[in-house]
Amino acid sequence: MVKRTSGTDNMTKLHTQKSQQNGPPQKPSFLKVLQKSSLSFLAMAPLLLGTIGLVGLFQVLVTPKMLASLFRGNPLFDTLIGTLSGAVAVGNPIVSYLIGGELLNHGISLYAVSAFLLSWITLGFTQLPAEVEVFGGRFTLYRNILAFIFAMITAVLTTLTVQVLS
Amino acid sequence: MKKPDKPFAFRGKYIFLVVLVLYGLFFLVNSESALLALQKSSAVLTKILPIFVVVILFTATLNYFIKPKQIARHLGHKSGTKGWFWALAAGVISHGPMYAWYPLLDDLRSHGMKDEYIVVFFASRAIKIPLLPIMIDYFGLTFTIVLSFYMLLGALIQGLCMQILTPVNGK
Repeated sequence: MVKRTSGTDNMTKLHTQKSQQNGPPQKPSFLKVLQKSSLSFLAMAPLLLGTIGLVGLFQVLVTPKMLASLFRGNPLFDTLIGTLSGAVAVGNPIVSYLIGGELLNHGISLYAVSAFLLSWITLGFTQLPAEVEVFGGRFTLYRNILAFIFAMITAVLTTLTVQVLS
Repeated sequence: MKKPDKPFAFRGKYIFLVVLVLYGLFFLVNSESALLALQKSSAVLTKILPIFVVVILFTATLNYFIKPKQIARHLGHKSGTKGWFWALAAGVISHGPMYAWYPLLDDLRSHGMKDEYIVVFFASRAIKIPLLPIMIDYFGLTFTIVLSFYMLLGALIQGLCMQILTPVNGK
């Protein structure tokens, strides 16, 4: 029985022959892939260095004392302030625990402290330009609005649940 | 057909320039504080350099072992439930500042990772496993468990909200 070959089969054969002539299609070596990844990372160096530069500036200009002075003792207002100040503040999350602990000791509500702890990590004014550059304006806007709203909702729910449980 | 490689181009040049100008102005106004800011930035950079190395190695390993199609299958539009949990787990495990992960996420996004998973990843990063003992010490076990639970739940809901806000092909 004679097997009929279609145009596609011929094309495949031609492609295979060509591949054999040029050698089999090889998977790039790990070194090559690593080089490519390093280059993509290097391309982002100005963006990352700029963000780190902003982090340094904010760490000097926005002090923990300054943040603590913003709270007024009103749970609702303080939750909003907690979210905003957490977004402006920069640094290791441990610092947010230290400040949060101090705020609790000074009578600031758990609503505000929870919102502060959450927004410290999920929101960040210093990384906004970089986020826009990498993910686009629309994505950054939506993500930050969602993170802002959810920081407050989570803070309220956490405080209410802790109050019920204790 | 294989997509041609993008030509090398620096990203965020203008952001970098603006920050340089800000530092220049700050030096003129208060050179002592500006120097302190520069020292703090250097300290941050030194601290997160190992994370950058991890991110580069992780990106290379992913690109070497996993084909873009597979990434799209696990984190793309047809990934189903598992994609949500991958994003959630990756966010909880990830370490260091958020911006250190931008290059990896940018790479995954170009291979088909959904925006809602990026949102879940960022939101779930609020849980820091190595710092949980410190959090328990400061705020108590009940607070830490309740907050962590709501953070995970909130991360997933934020992802769902993003899905509604940015439908497929709506970019």
